[in-house]
Amino acid sequence: MDMELIQQIRDKARNLLEEGTVEGVIGYERASDGLTSRPFFAYDPSDTERLIFDETCAHNLVKYLLDKKSKKIAVVVKPCDSRAINLLLNEGQIERDKVFIIGVGCPGMVETNWNHKSETLQAKCRSCQLSKPLVYDFLAGGELERQAEEETYSDIMEAEAKSVATRREFWLEQFGRCIRCYACRQVCPGCYCPVCFAERLEPLWVGIRIAPEENDLWQTIRAFHLAGRCIGCNECERVCPVGIPLSLLNRKLEKDVKELFAFQAGLDPEEPPPFATFKKEEILEFEK
Amino acid sequence: MKSEYQPKVIGFLCNWCSYAGADMAGTSRMRYPQNIRIIRVPCSGRVDPLFVVKCFQRGADGVLVSGCHPGDCHYTEGNYYTRRRFALLREFLDYLGIAKERMRVEWVSASEGQKFADLLSDFTMELVRLGARSKI
Amino acid sequence: MNLFASKDDLIRWLDSLLQKHIVVAPVRVQGQTMFQPISKVEEVIFDFDNTTLSPKGWFLPPTETLFSVQRDDGKVELVPTLVEHDAVIFGLHPCDAKGIALMDGPFLQEPSDALYRERRSRTALIGLACCQVQPECFCTSMGSAPDDPSNVDILLTEVEDGYIVQAVTEKGKALLPKGLVEYKGKVPTPPKLQTVPTKEVISAMRELFNDPYWEQLADRCLHCNICAYVCPTCYCFDMRDYADKGKVERVRSWESCQSPGFSLTAGGYDPRTTKGERLRQRFYHKLLYFPEQFQDVACVGCGRCVRDCPVNIDIREVISNLQQVTEAKSGS
Repeated sequence: MDMELIQQIRDKARNLLEEGTVEGVIGYERASDGLTSRPFFAYDPSDTERLIFDETCAHNLVKYLLDKKSKKIAVVVKPCDSRAINLLLNEGQIERDKVFIIGVGCPGMVETNWNHKSETLQAKCRSCQLSKPLVYDFLAGGELERQAEEETYSDIMEAEAKSVATRREFWLEQFGRCIRCYACRQVCPGCYCPVCFAERLEPLWVGIRIAPEENDLWQTIRAFHLAGRCIGCNECERVCPVGIPLSLLNRKLEKDVKELFAFQAGLDPEEPPPFATFKKEEILEFEK
Repeated sequence: MKSEYQPKVIGFLCNWCSYAGADMAGTSRMRYPQNIRIIRVPCSGRVDPLFVVKCFQRGADGVLVSGCHPGDCHYTEGNYYTRRRFALLREFLDYLGIAKERMRVEWVSASEGQKFADLLSDFTMELVRLGARSKI
Repeated sequence: MNLFASKDDLIRWLDSLLQKHIVVAPVRVQGQTMFQPISKVEEVIFDFDNTTLSPKGWFLPPTETLFSVQRDDGKVELVPTLVEHDAVIFGLHPCDAKGIALMDGPFLQEPSDALYRERRSRTALIGLACCQVQPECFCTSMGSAPDDPSNVDILLTEVEDGYIVQAVTEKGKALLPKGLVEYKGKVPTPPKLQTVPTKEVISAMRELFNDPYWEQLADRCLHCNICAYVCPTCYCFDMRDYADKGKVERVRSWESCQSPGFSLTAGGYDPRTTKGERLRQRFYHKLLYFPEQFQDVACVGCGRCVRDCPVNIDIREVISNLQQVTEAKSGS
């Protein structure tokens, strides 16, 4: 644990609360296993002593800003999470001057489960190209030197090379396991519809059956609603209790959006997302 | 066309161009396969990808989304959005195991009755070639 | 009398059970351990921590058709879903067995749930005592134990070379294979577990309905349904009629009090709209409403919610916190 970094976060958080700049600070504290971490909301300056930061702080805390829109809030943001800030600014969901961003340089997060911490970096961290958050008001720990692998989408390309029937079988098996706990939606910073299409009763787009055909529709549309919007924090896959490889869906769309529209979500708070704009002269595959 | 297997096709046609084009095919007594069930929408931009995925979930063998030619949209730019959306959805459905040939996006104007008829013959033949989709 | 079955005896026994029963046992599916009907004994795994989902799904499936109505030639016919086979759930841990016993409260109380009752009466439970416990386990604090035989028909305890076989009920005795010898060796001592103090929890719940504690706890809650769906005692469901071409099916599926639309009523009123209210409901149902109706707290200490909650809402911590909060209140 980098105590110096943690002290900087604590000092800043205390400062912000004492001065009344913010009403709360969203950060991380130690989880009940004494090993991993969990989100923590500090409202009193004395709470800030509980704040920590280490390689288990995988949660994307930006999601919580959507619950606290009316307040001025500070939030601890890793480089990858900062793309979620840009996404929400881009889509008009948060106001920049209501959020104080405590950025942290990030050495990469390891795979964790409650009471388990592995040595392995999460896949998204191995290919992360960001040495510091894209947007912040205060940077704790400074910029970090990172040696990132290139994102080659090799697993996606492998799947693309298989037959359509093989892919169908693969996904039906994966979706067949889904218990529709909606944790993937609940944890996603890009999922904030006041009423999700899956909750609509009239028309009933997704039925109540927890069965392959309904799960298939849910998973397809969930992923597609995030096309050109998914910022790759991979929280959905991390929280899935039945281990569905959701990154294979999200990264497929990310790859295609890059290829078709030369766009990556969350890099720029101003650039319109691919489905909110168009180029008159473009010719897409099916027109050729 | 003579075949045992009759694929089910759902067509989302925009009110201003493609629906009128289909109408023209009909009033000019052009022959085309009767496999399509047409749903008229105000603009091809109205078609939510959810509609298409739901069609496939409920057992459609093919889905057609058709609107005015780019540049001719009644609402100026609706079909430009359609174009982007479904270019990506076709790829994605293919990736999930619904062959991209099962989903077509076509531009048919009000005067293109023949194009509409030809397109449906072609699409239906393609779907027959692909065969019925496996039931979940 | 305790009997002894060697590992081979057990395999042969399971094999013979498969002839006349559906055998539901822990199997490995794509990295998860799940209770599923098996087709051959080799699929069964014996060495597992608590399964991903509890075996409650055998009695209350994630989705089932309760009955269907068919219309044919002007005749209307109601077709009930039938439970046609005897079944054995093999290898469930004592905590999961207690979960099923707790579900009996709401489902078997008159008017009882027909499908649940049928499945329950036609299913025998062969439990497996835990030789190892996980850090998230706390069954002893919830009135059970790693070697608790009270909610199963037969309890197996692993010893060297085989299993101690303890037939607990008549139903269990009828399932025993012939030729097992008496076990005269030592019964292993069950592993020790950490204790969660629960003495004052029910009275604490009575005090704390309006305490700000719930809102604070809900701050980090994501309101997914993981805790409810992995829980062996959460039994809420949703129902809906599906109509298609002259046939109507009444379908029941798992649902949870954490869902946004769960308590929405006709007319649009929702008594629990905020995150805090929904989270509080889950704990109140478990720790107050359920014991008020059915004596026991609706938690068996299996630790699945502790293990799987993405933001570490730890029920053991909640139970201790609540008692501390009331203590602090009464002290001041």
